[in-house]
Amino acid sequence: MNSDSDHVLDLSPSGGAYDDTPPQLPLKRSTSALRRRAFDRLAQIIVTLGGAAVILSIIGMFVFLVKEVVPLFLSPHGTQSGHFAGDLDRGEPSQSSLVGLDEYQEIIYLLSGGAERQIRFFNAQSGAPIAVELPAGLADAYIVSIARAAGSGHRFAFATKDGRLIPVTIEFTSGFDQGERRITPTITIGSPMQATPATERILRLAYQPTDQGPLTAALTDQGRLWYTAGALGSSPVALTNHGNESVTSFIFDSRGETLSVGTVGGKLYRYELREGVQPSLSETIPVAPAGTAVTALSYLIGDRSLVIGSGAGEVSVWMPVREAQESSVTRFRLIHRLDTHPASVTGISPSLRNKGFITGDAQGNLFVHYATSSQTVLKLSGDGQAIRALAFSPKADGAVILSDQGELRTYAIRNPHPETTVATLLAPVWYEGYDRPEHVWQSSSGADDFEAKFGLMPLIFGTLKGTFYAMLVAVPLALLGAIYTAMFMAPHLRAKIKPTIEIMAALPTVILGFLAGLWIAPMLERIFPAMVAMMIAVPAGVIVTSVLWQYFPATVTRRLRPGMEAFILIPVIIGVVWACLALNQPVESLLFGGSYKTWFATHWGLRYDQRNALVVGFAMGFAIVPIIYSISEEALTNVPRHLIAGSLALGATRWQTLVKLVLVSASPGIFSALMIGFGRAIGETMIVLMATGNTPIMEWSVFNGFRTLSANIAVEIPEAPHGGTLYRTLFLAALVLFAFTFLINTVAEMIRQRLRTKYSQY
Amino acid sequence: MRTPFKQMLATGNVFIWGCAAGVSLSLLMVFGLLLLIMINGLGYFWISDIVDLTLKDGQHVMGQLAGREVIPRTITPDRPEGKSRVRVKIGNRDLSGLDFKWVNDDQIVSQAYPADVVLLERREWGNMYARIQAVYSGEKLLAEGNEAGWTALGPLISSADDLHRQIKQIEQFEIGAINADIERLRLKIRAIEMEHPASPVSSEMKAQVADTETRYREKTAELETLRARFDEYSVVMVDANGREKQIAVGQIVRALRPNEMGVWQKSWIYLVNVWAALSTEPREANTEGGIFPAIFGTVLMVIIMSLAVVPFGVLAALYLREYARQGAMVRLVRIAVNNLAGVPSIVFGVFGLGFFIYAIGGTLDTLFYPERLPTPTFGTGGILWASLTLALLTVPVVIVSTEEGLAAVPREFREGSLALGATKLETMLKVVIPSALPGILTGLILAMARAAGEVAPLMLTGVVKLAPALPLDGSWPFFHFDRKFMHLGFHIYDVGFQSPNVEAAKPMVYITTLVLITVVILLNLTAIVLRNHLRKKYAGSVL
Repeated sequence: MNSDSDHVLDLSPSGGAYDDTPPQLPLKRSTSALRRRAFDRLAQIIVTLGGAAVILSIIGMFVFLVKEVVPLFLSPHGTQSGHFAGDLDRGEPSQSSLVGLDEYQEIIYLLSGGAERQIRFFNAQSGAPIAVELPAGLADAYIVSIARAAGSGHRFAFATKDGRLIPVTIEFTSGFDQGERRITPTITIGSPMQATPATERILRLAYQPTDQGPLTAALTDQGRLWYTAGALGSSPVALTNHGNESVTSFIFDSRGETLSVGTVGGKLYRYELREGVQPSLSETIPVAPAGTAVTALSYLIGDRSLVIGSGAGEVSVWMPVREAQESSVTRFRLIHRLDTHPASVTGISPSLRNKGFITGDAQGNLFVHYATSSQTVLKLSGDGQAIRALAFSPKADGAVILSDQGELRTYAIRNPHPETTVATLLAPVWYEGYDRPEHVWQSSSGADDFEAKFGLMPLIFGTLKGTFYAMLVAVPLALLGAIYTAMFMAPHLRAKIKPTIEIMAALPTVILGFLAGLWIAPMLERIFPAMVAMMIAVPAGVIVTSVLWQYFPATVTRRLRPGMEAFILIPVIIGVVWACLALNQPVESLLFGGSYKTWFATHWGLRYDQRNALVVGFAMGFAIVPIIYSISEEALTNVPRHLIAGSLALGATRWQTLVKLVLVSASPGIFSALMIGFGRAIGETMIVLMATGNTPIMEWSVFNGFRTLSANIAVEIPEAPHGGTLYRTLFLAALVLFAFTFLINTVAEMIRQRLRTKYSQY
Repeated sequence: MRTPFKQMLATGNVFIWGCAAGVSLSLLMVFGLLLLIMINGLGYFWISDIVDLTLKDGQHVMGQLAGREVIPRTITPDRPEGKSRVRVKIGNRDLSGLDFKWVNDDQIVSQAYPADVVLLERREWGNMYARIQAVYSGEKLLAEGNEAGWTALGPLISSADDLHRQIKQIEQFEIGAINADIERLRLKIRAIEMEHPASPVSSEMKAQVADTETRYREKTAELETLRARFDEYSVVMVDANGREKQIAVGQIVRALRPNEMGVWQKSWIYLVNVWAALSTEPREANTEGGIFPAIFGTVLMVIIMSLAVVPFGVLAALYLREYARQGAMVRLVRIAVNNLAGVPSIVFGVFGLGFFIYAIGGTLDTLFYPERLPTPTFGTGGILWASLTLALLTVPVVIVSTEEGLAAVPREFREGSLALGATKLETMLKVVIPSALPGILTGLILAMARAAGEVAPLMLTGVVKLAPALPLDGSWPFFHFDRKFMHLGFHIYDVGFQSPNVEAAKPMVYITTLVLITVVILLNLTAIVLRNHLRKKYAGSVL
């Protein structure tokens, strides 16, 4: 370092004055002058580029975060991708045709009634038919109705003219042939069974294979609804509890526990099915305006939500909801009402991945809905031909419809994040299995049909709660300390004390988090009563000391330099704290009747978690004390000295000068200190991660844990698949933190700079 | 001078005392924290005596005392107050299942420090406190009894230790190198196959593969013989309650008789322990052994980060202070840079994950390592990405500090240099930057301190609880930028919060904390000294 400064001195004009040799001026060597100028230009460019790079990287960071978040909110996109003749005889009953797609949207199948070619396959791109041999049992049967089973897989039942049922499964096997994927469909059929008396002709059919065997329900031309539980080998039972109203639609759930029957009058009858027992009617609900038929029914994945389409084009989602908090009785309730079709709803097809579904109507319109967000995300209008059958592709990225004219149309639908909207992120959402709309964050679970719940509210709440308690601890401590250091401390003491407190800011927060979680938390659980006592006893001890100090002989007090109060108080505080700790158990008996946990539980209904907001308050308070302290101390010190001197000279006491003059002048600076401290607490990760239980709950209680946005990112992003909804939602959380802290800090910095220019005038 | 209390309120002196309390509490907190960590961290290395407690029911509890407390009410609500209990580290986890045991004071009949008790540090199951019953070689009895056994055991342990080192050498380096060869060959073959799917793999390649596989088999065979020798000797220990346990000598790291040792001997052991903690690898899911890989990872990460952050930070500061036209724009940029320092570190982690790992790393993988896919090379966390993320995090620190350094260089220096005909570049290189060097260094050191302590962004960009290999080693290409690494801060989090036996892991956490806090505070103190030096140097020269 010394040689550098010598070097600098050499170049200074005074250094050159003593030189005997004249300075080598650049003019003498023109080639080198050119080179030097070129280097100079180059350096200028490099430095400017370097500066620009840093500035760009700040902007780039923001842009990148935004770029990753934006797809969450992009509106979905759908286009018709194919259109060709399905080669179908007209005039078949509407339920005797079904369509479907394989996972890769390469092959379309079309199931239809009649005596031949009941199953047809087409190439989804070209529309070219694919020849597949039908099994013998099917080829010679006359099919009158076909039903699709709920759940994954392509499982169907074909009803014959004489009331028999043939289970059919279509499977797609993919293999690689010379580097290209080839999908081949295969058809397998099960053994037929009798679903209705042979004399009645089946009009409509519902079919569901379950663990206990297949269930079927069949509506016949006699107007009767037959129910058969196949495994028992029992003969068909006629269901009559729904009275005389004619049935328009019926469906099993995929576990085979209920049969829902919709009628022409707009009522839904729910039969409870149990093994070996007669089906019993459990509920009758009006689901459509009187006189409007229930035209289509479909369960969403998970079998809780039932989508109902009506003759008036209404689409609604219903769920069983508990009647009362503790009750086990559930009632079917309307949860989501989606956009209404201009014509009667003719078909519903659920997604196999999420709570999305598509609906088609009698004018050929295709709507894409999402149940959880209560949204109709996409409307594809048709050409007026009624949709006879439709299917959502297994990956929910396409659809195929069969029109009344026998045409097949395919659609490509791009909607990667249907479950997130601003509303689902911030407003309460009515999830399946909940009694009311709630704020929930639950991104994963062990269950297969689990729906991820991305409500950011609990996390924002947790962030604010943690910050609040941290500020509660830090602000008094830091401000008092700053005032004392700036105003009442001798300069040489201040020069030592200030860096000591500031070095706390450099402590890695992981250390504070570890101490909070493994040392403070268990200790606080033991000494909580002593802690309460300390909050009263420490201030009391300070007051008592200050009063006693008055009675000390002046010879002693005079000799101490300003700023010694802090050191006199250290033993006092240690003594008070020690006394409180020693009195822990008596205090617990006195204040809380023996056990503070039971006391809080019985009196205030609070549960004590070991890792709670109080622990975070202490640890995070500790982390932000130095920041608030340092900045507000600077603000206080910058108040011009002559103003203070003037005030004191006019006879104001030190305290009056402080309150009426210094604090008022420095208040913008102190405010900016608080804001910067706040910004730091908002984004702190490790302390909260280690010192709370990280449960995303929304309670203000100081004895509960919480989960913050930042800790949530740290916990969940390693498990989040790249590009998925969780991944992007976590990016959104990061973006919010980034924007928020950036904003807070900018405002605080501007206040500080204004203050600085203001005082520089003095 | 004696004033009544009311007057005191009026003068506000009591409030001044209140303010003083703020400073006192802050100071108490700082020093209390440092003291707590020092006591817990440094105390761990001291081998304390083994106590043998005889209880009322005739049972013995033998181990090292680990604390004493008044029995909390939650455990015994109906007992009279003021009873205390002691906490004993009883070790012998394989016999008792627990490391620690609470013994109520009123249960203890007598307390002794028998000189002949042996402390065995083991590679598995933690410490053992017991006496030696017999030493065996295979089935053959070598020595019987505590004293004879103790004399026999010493040399056996040191030879077992040599063996252990050999085995480690073979496992980690030789077999590791062979494995790396095999992997390289596999990838080479895969790459050729991907380029020319039709052409068969050359016979030369096949020969190479066969050759490495033979080498591999040879080494494993060698390992087997060593392992057999490793397990040849065993010792039967008997604990205070007469339970026996046979242990292979190879399982023993060290045998000590703490009760026999004097202060000097213990002090020597203390130093040995400190060195071992700093220089060896962790054992038993990181709860025992040393923290060397974590120290190494932290240091290497900080160095790579420094290499990235200094040029950019200094260039940006030079631009802002010396080259850019001072105006509203530069002021705005300066505020933005300043505020970047206040952005939560986890945000940088998220950015690092999305940008460095998925965007850049993913692209690098498809361009240069297609044969390794779907196993990612740079498309996953690694030391390079972690360092770059932290460089981004700390660049504002360097910029701010460098700018401060540049601002402190008196204007006359620049003017003098320019007046003498130097170009701006020459002025910068020969006058301004050397003068501002303390500022740059301060920035670098503060950045290093910050980087050493950050954990949250690392958790997303490549830190792991246990790295199989260091990012810098003897196999080509020596620096493995794509490798994951261990880090002191993450070690604290992981060992303290993710390990199955947190109670046993605590000392390790305190040691790691102590190392980390020492590094960070030393770096910060250096920065403070440098900065003061800088301020003093030019304090008067403006006039």
